[in-house]
Amino acid sequence: MADKPRGRRFSWRGLVRVVHGDLGHVAVGLTFVYALSGLAVNHIADWDPNFRNHEEVHELGGPLAGNDEGIAQTVLARLAIRDTPQEVYRAADDQLDVVFERRTLHVTPSTGRVVDEGQEPRFLLRMANWLHLNRGKKAWTYVADTYAVGLLVLAVSGVLMLPGRRGLLGRGGLWLLVGVLVPVLYVHFSGGP
Amino acid sequence: MDPSKLHTHPEVARILERRRFLKNAAAGTLLVALGGGTYVVAAADDPRAKTQRPDGRPRLPPGQRIIDALKPMGGDPGDPSPASFKLHVHGEVENPVTLDFAKLLALPQTDLTCDVHCVTGWSMFDATWRGVQLAELAKLVRVRSTARYVIFEAANSYTSNVRLSEALAPGVLVAHQHGGKPLSRPHGPPARALVPDLYFWKSAKWLTGIRFSARDRPGYWETRGYHNHADPWKEERYG
Repeated sequence: MADKPRGRRFSWRGLVRVVHGDLGHVAVGLTFVYALSGLAVNHIADWDPNFRNHEEVHELGGPLAGNDEGIAQTVLARLAIRDTPQEVYRAADDQLDVVFERRTLHVTPSTGRVVDEGQEPRFLLRMANWLHLNRGKKAWTYVADTYAVGLLVLAVSGVLMLPGRRGLLGRGGLWLLVGVLVPVLYVHFSGGP
Repeated sequence: MDPSKLHTHPEVARILERRRFLKNAAAGTLLVALGGGTYVVAAADDPRAKTQRPDGRPRLPPGQRIIDALKPMGGDPGDPSPASFKLHVHGEVENPVTLDFAKLLALPQTDLTCDVHCVTGWSMFDATWRGVQLAELAKLVRVRSTARYVIFEAANSYTSNVRLSEALAPGVLVAHQHGGKPLSRPHGPPARALVPDLYFWKSAKWLTGIRFSARDRPGYWETRGYHNHADPWKEERYG
């Protein structure tokens, strides 16, 4: 008589391992993006994580004559700029702005001085920072919340999977306490809100 | 060991290579750390930090360090086009107006040298600006006596709130030049608010409107945990 095929027995330990493993890989992907963006945004006072900025001053030597379009064409020719401007705008008698998508030439026609400034986005970092600061659609809040809950699940399932010999009463508990103490001590010594 | 014999002992060569790498990495890290420390110490030693303002307050607010140029502090960029610029001055006023860029430049202009202070810890001394005093705009629109606050409205729904009494101070401008040049892209062109005596996030970039309000309306950062008032000398950084 053939043996009846045995069904796999449900195991909480197995479930925890699968959840921890799968969720862990998702979290690794998200963590790369969040951590890099977090580092970039934390040090925003030291550099611009979103754009590469440039600014140069050109002296074209003397007044620039003609109407606004004519002056703009002269400036473009002298600076060897081939792009077509989006607009040429005279804000004041002696201030003519030639605007491109990512660049503006601020021309002083009476002196021929041109301030050439603009910026180029840092593609990946800018997107990551945009998400990090939640400046995008509010829907991203749900993704961020899910990520946070996922980290909590990972933390708890990790503790269950690798409890050590004495569980939270042993070395693991001490390290857990250290983790909790870091923000608590920071708030305490910094004077808090 | 004689270096010429290393090729006959690849294991030893690998260990020595690893040691060299670790030594270099440690030296590099130390250099960077000390470099950062030198930077902080140098900033703290700046003699300007010990001077006082005419109002008796120290020129450098607590927790700040001096830097030489404005840092681009991010924010969702608005439209830098002067041709598209429209500034709505409205709210608790008798005569709301909408100014284009040429009209803004046709108003009386004020040149100002002041210090600015960012909540992230840097201060720039003697920053030069050109623009229109907010008090001048308030006169133009005839602000009602019910107004108590000014709400700066900017691109991408950014706002910041300032008490009316502080917003009408002579140093508060709608600025369109910095350092003798039109505002560059990181600094909110074509025009931005300038409120020198409050942390710099109050000085909204890519300005689109100025609303005089009877009620306070905490703005973008104020509703995200930053202080509603933002006085650098009281270190009003967080709410």
